[in-house]
Amino acid sequence: MSSRVCHFKLVLLGDTAVGKSCLVVRFVRDEFFEFQEPTIGAAFLTQTVALDDATVKFEIWDTAGQERYRSLAPMYYRGAAAAIIVYDITNPDSFAGAKSWVKELQRRGDTNVVIALVGAIAGNKADLESRRKVDFEEANAYAEENGILHMETSAKNSNNVRALFVEIAKSLPKALQQPEREAFPIVMQKQETRNCC
Amino acid sequence: MNDDSWLTSGSNMTGGQRHQQGNNDWAAPPPPAGGYDQGVPGQRPPYGRQQPPAQAGTTMANQQVAAYQYTAFQNNAMPQKQQQHHHHRHPPTPPQPTVATGAYNTPGTPNGPNKAGSGGGGGNNSSNNNAGIIVASRAADEETEDGRIRNREASTKIRDAWIYKQIRSRQDEFTQYKQGRVFVGTWNVNAKGKEESLSSWLCADWHQHGPPDIVVVGFQEMVDLNAVNVAVENKSATRSQFWVEKIRATLNSRQNTLGDPMRTYTELATKFLVGLLVCVFVKAPHKPRVKYVHTDSVGVGVMGMMGNKGGVSIRLQFYDSTLCFICAHLAAHRENVAGRNADFANVYTKMSFEIGQEAVQEVIRLGSMSQWAMGTSSVGVPDHDLVFWFGDLNYRVDESIPTVRVMELSKAGMLDELIEHDQLNIERAAGRVFRDFEEGALTFTPTYKYQPGTDLYEERPDKKLRAPAWCDRILWLAQEPGHVAQLNYTRSELNVSDHKPVMSTFLVTIKDVILAKREGVYRDVMKMLDTYENNSLPMVSLDRIKLDFGEVRYDQRVTLPIVITNTGQVVAQFRLVPKVDEIELCKPWMTVAPTYGMLIPGEQAELEMTITIDNSTARRLNTSQEVLEDVVILRLENGRDYYISATGKYARSCFGMAVDELVLYTDPIREVPLDPILRAEKYDLNSRAAMCVPKELWRIIDAIYERGLDERDLFTMIGDPDEVYQIRECLDTGASFENFSVHSFAEVLTSFLSNLSSPIVPVTLIPTLDIDAQNIQMFTRKFLEDMLPVPYNVFIYIISFFREVLLHEQRNRLSPPKVARILCNCLSLSQTGGADESVRSASSSRGNMQQLMLHFLQTNSI
Repeated sequence: MSSRVCHFKLVLLGDTAVGKSCLVVRFVRDEFFEFQEPTIGAAFLTQTVALDDATVKFEIWDTAGQERYRSLAPMYYRGAAAAIIVYDITNPDSFAGAKSWVKELQRRGDTNVVIALVGAIAGNKADLESRRKVDFEEANAYAEENGILHMETSAKNSNNVRALFVEIAKSLPKALQQPEREAFPIVMQKQETRNCC
Repeated sequence: MNDDSWLTSGSNMTGGQRHQQGNNDWAAPPPPAGGYDQGVPGQRPPYGRQQPPAQAGTTMANQQVAAYQYTAFQNNAMPQKQQQHHHHRHPPTPPQPTVATGAYNTPGTPNGPNKAGSGGGGGNNSSNNNAGIIVASRAADEETEDGRIRNREASTKIRDAWIYKQIRSRQDEFTQYKQGRVFVGTWNVNAKGKEESLSSWLCADWHQHGPPDIVVVGFQEMVDLNAVNVAVENKSATRSQFWVEKIRATLNSRQNTLGDPMRTYTELATKFLVGLLVCVFVKAPHKPRVKYVHTDSVGVGVMGMMGNKGGVSIRLQFYDSTLCFICAHLAAHRENVAGRNADFANVYTKMSFEIGQEAVQEVIRLGSMSQWAMGTSSVGVPDHDLVFWFGDLNYRVDESIPTVRVMELSKAGMLDELIEHDQLNIERAAGRVFRDFEEGALTFTPTYKYQPGTDLYEERPDKKLRAPAWCDRILWLAQEPGHVAQLNYTRSELNVSDHKPVMSTFLVTIKDVILAKREGVYRDVMKMLDTYENNSLPMVSLDRIKLDFGEVRYDQRVTLPIVITNTGQVVAQFRLVPKVDEIELCKPWMTVAPTYGMLIPGEQAELEMTITIDNSTARRLNTSQEVLEDVVILRLENGRDYYISATGKYARSCFGMAVDELVLYTDPIREVPLDPILRAEKYDLNSRAAMCVPKELWRIIDAIYERGLDERDLFTMIGDPDEVYQIRECLDTGASFENFSVHSFAEVLTSFLSNLSSPIVPVTLIPTLDIDAQNIQMFTRKFLEDMLPVPYNVFIYIISFFREVLLHEQRNRLSPPKVARILCNCLSLSQTGGADESVRSASSSRGNMQQLMLHFLQTNSI
């Protein structure tokens, strides 16, 4: 809870049907649809996350995952402060896809962008482990190597959804005007005197 | 003694008992005998503290509010608290003229020697009262490009104020209400003091209510208010030490504590100013839940700033309630009511606690902040949940009752008439001082002036006869109604001073916030705001986003509509935008109209998407350089993007192909796939030798031949467009021709030839040197020699055909030059060819081509 409101553009990327929109809908509207329509275009929503030292307002672009629209993604990740790259933990291809998104962002995106790699857990916890095809540790190691956040979330039962956005919000530099920028500065600006907007 | 824990009243919260150690620490429940309302938490306070503070953001609004308040007071004998609005940290009476606009938030340093104002103007409602709070500096106003003025700072604060107001209105959901007791004592000690227990004053009601949770004691005239003492703090420090130690000794006497450290009291803070002293003690178990203890003092005495009169105060956060205690000594003398009012206003206004941004943030979160000031590291008196104001306020019984009569009534204990003429009661009722404060009924005899060491009013003949008065008072101010209930209000008979001590015990409701629940409420509120924001984004619905144009033929135009409806709540502007790194909105074979528009809510518009297969598109399609697939991006201003995809299947045509490829297929071209690999399977290698010219060409020429070369104006009259289309379909599908006119066939022939993807006669074959009778044989021979096999066959076939046609020139009115011109047009210069040639050489090569054609037609040179 704070009067400092920082605005950040956040983009969701990832292969088709991995659950990007489900994640956003759960986060923004706290709803879940078993049959979420594919996003044809790029949906735009805003959502606020309150941190101890600042309030972060995300301006979220949820992109289309279908391959034929892939070339349009740069329109949305250009200038984004954060990117959530989603894969389906039961679909190894989508994890490979996620890695290629990470590469693309590292190559073409703003070097300062905070990237979060997110394993979307579809279905129930019970049958999850038997269907799991992407090892958590493997994904985690990959994320660590690349200096990006990693989490597994479930839009269906809300697990980790809010935590994901809070984590990203915390990782965002609250003072964007600072001159020196590391590749992925995961630093929090505690100083109250700094302005964010 | 009953040692119940916090009494939660009205809270339906379960679990989350954060208060671990407290079960035996809190005061016993109060006796219900008093009949006070123990408070239903969540009720709105009688005055408008919950009005969003930022509503005061505009001076205009604030003036109106203030004016309204003023009127309310003038028209009512008793203040109608329910009508009052939030008082913006105004003092209950108007501040002094020295308090400039927007300066209420400056810390409470005395505003220079301006006693004049306070002395004379205690009762005047100066216009400064209406100045109001400036929510953000004007310097932060920005003018946007469209000429609007905005102020991010103000807007953020106003928004936050609204958020906190929302949160506060739901505080019952995250607050555990606990009941505690606060003892407040005040005594003008007349610079006296002796070694005697204060327990008959401080602990008088312990047998009834048990030890309170907080003990607050204020003194006036610890020292003589002479010039030396006013100027030098030395003696004040010693005396305050003396009194604090006496209080400590009384509270923590063996008799009280029984040796249990948890029953002892800890001093939280002490503040003195000349004769004034205030100190706060808290019962040991509560100590860990006390935060942000700060003190301040304001002198309003000699020169308007000296400490012979004024106030000292301590503020703190107790659990999650903010408390403020002010001990004041106001102007003396029976007639100087205005001076007392002014002193109060001054102390109230200037008292300020520099508690730091973090603590202010907490006050704001707790909802206690009375307003949003620009500098947010300090709080003032009204920024507290509970305020206790006590001291020698010096109000007397007014002069309408003669001194002797006051004395008689006081001694007789006949208080009603005196209470009616008590200056403080009168001034409060008139709204001139202590606005919004409350005081209990006076049930004790006046506390001043006594003959020191006795219980007698001062009537000794050598002393001036003074009318006894209730100089010593205790008032309170609570943001929530019912959060303070007075258990008793009485006096002690300690007699060392010319004043009697006064004391009161309050049952107070203390807030204990369960942070996780409050965060939940905060999230709810933010979510609600976000929902409004998201709902105010433009929204449209498209009746379809996938357009399938089906089979699209050569030279055909197909249009499909999309209906776009504004389903949102705001005006929606839409426009098509190019894809990443592109300039055009869509592929060249598609057009969209309109490419932009605006819709008011509910309004509809139609977008028309049209595919046209022209010659160059056909060529690209036939050679797999292009497919009929595209995505158009429709963007809503300030909103989302929609992708509209268009797909079609090109119905293949022999038009726009090369003769070399056409001769490969015996099947109708429509049946030949576009995919290069599938297409290769259709190659009919056996028939290749036989197919020296494309079967389509053969069919056209055969049809013309059959229908007669005698037809007048053959190749000069245009065909029927519909028949041309149908003939083309027959060629592409292999269907037999109907009875079409020969002119339509003739047009198809020239059109077929001129739309081949590569012309029969490439530009490179046409001589650039001037042709004359001597060299023409050489040129024609070279021309034929350089031709590739299939075009050669086609060329010979065409020339032969036209020679045949020219045999009928009497009837069809053709002539060799006419035919040469036709051949020139359809065999050599395709529309795209020759782009890099200069106009001059183009025309000369055209002339040469024509001469060559003429030669072929007129001589038997093939």
